[in-house]
Amino acid sequence: MEFNLSTFVLEIINFLILIWILQRLFYKPLLEVIAKRKQFIDQSLSEAKNLKLHAEQQCSLYENRQKLWEQEKQAALNELHRQLEAERRAALDKLNADLEQERQKAKVTLSRQQQELRQQTEKQALQNGAKFAGMLLQQASGPELEARLFSLLLDNLTTLPEACKLCLTTLSTKKSIPIKITSAYPLADEMRGQLEQKLTSLINSPINFQYHQDVALIAGLRMDIGAWVLNANLQHELVGFTEIGYESE
Amino acid sequence: MENEFTFALGPLAISASIITTWGIMLVITAIAWLSTRHLAMLPGALQTTVEGIVATIDEAVSAVAPEHGRQIMPFIASLWLFLIIANLLSLIPGLHSPTQDLSVTSALAIVVFFSVHWFGIKTQGLKKYLHHYLKPSPILLPFHIISELTRTLALAIRLFGNMMSLEMAAMLVLLVAGFLAPIPILMLHIIEALVQAYIFGMLALVYVAGAIQSQQLNSPE
Repeated sequence: MEFNLSTFVLEIINFLILIWILQRLFYKPLLEVIAKRKQFIDQSLSEAKNLKLHAEQQCSLYENRQKLWEQEKQAALNELHRQLEAERRAALDKLNADLEQERQKAKVTLSRQQQELRQQTEKQALQNGAKFAGMLLQQASGPELEARLFSLLLDNLTTLPEACKLCLTTLSTKKSIPIKITSAYPLADEMRGQLEQKLTSLINSPINFQYHQDVALIAGLRMDIGAWVLNANLQHELVGFTEIGYESE
Repeated sequence: MENEFTFALGPLAISASIITTWGIMLVITAIAWLSTRHLAMLPGALQTTVEGIVATIDEAVSAVAPEHGRQIMPFIASLWLFLIIANLLSLIPGLHSPTQDLSVTSALAIVVFFSVHWFGIKTQGLKKYLHHYLKPSPILLPFHIISELTRTLALAIRLFGNMMSLEMAAMLVLLVAGFLAPIPILMLHIIEALVQAYIFGMLALVYVAGAIQSQQLNSPE
């Protein structure tokens, strides 16, 4: 346990040399490589962090973009549905309008057909009525009725309207006026004389009277004075009755 | 403990402790050279081991002196490595631990003593460093000086006494108990060697850190 100065001094020198050797050979390179690795790890971590941040940003961006796409898709879908609904409604309205038009057409056609049928029926009925009335009047007619219709004709000639009188006056400008008188029965001379006298009083020109017989008139007379025809017979009345029926429709 | 093997190298007497120290230095240097020969970013088993040792020591030093850890780490790490190997060396038959020599432990204690002042002056400057001996009161200056000397002495004697007594106790137990208790004694030796190395290094670290940070510790902030 004795103290040795040489050992003491040499030990100090040895230890200082050891520190120097280890500092150069051991600590420095090891700490450098540790620091380098730490720097590399820190850099990797930083890069990973940046990468993660970038990925999160991208993720957020794509999520937002996806959300926008979803919204756009939904909007487009809504627009499509709206357009489809509008087109469907328009097509439905058009179809309804066409159907209504067709219905109206059918209704009008049916109404027209019914009207035509009714007219045909009425016409047929009037014709039948006129036919039956004609047959009845043919059986019931005779010289008496003829005389009475002749009397009625004379009265009518007396009370002619002003327009007819003017028409007859215009005939007076002609040199000779042919008047065709048709009767269902032969006219007696007396009756012919009354008639000619009456017409002569109305027309100032010479008159050429021509008498004819037509049983189709049933009873009564018909006078053809130029373009003017004066009827006082049952056939004309029956025809007129029928025509009134047409006109009333 | 005696220096059985002694020869003279000029005016210097080379004791067995010195030769053992050289051996330890050679081994440590060899391991350091081998382990740092091909340093790679992806370390192998040896590199991982030495990196673990250095990183652990660096963390321990930085925990005590956070701002100057890298500055004092080589000194403290060298103390720890040298003392661990030196303390455990007596486990090898025929070899004696150099820390059983008072000259060696005194040399280490003196190195620590001067290192404390060296790092303190280097960090704070001579004036500021010496000024901390006058705080909190100049009356305490003698006590500071006595404290510096006694703790250095205690450092040397503690290590020497423990290592020497450990070997002596082991020899006495072996003499009394024969071959019945060698393994527990060896385990005790290992633990004691590690603990003493740790204590010496940690005390040195605390002294150096105290010298470096004395200005900050004494300042009002």
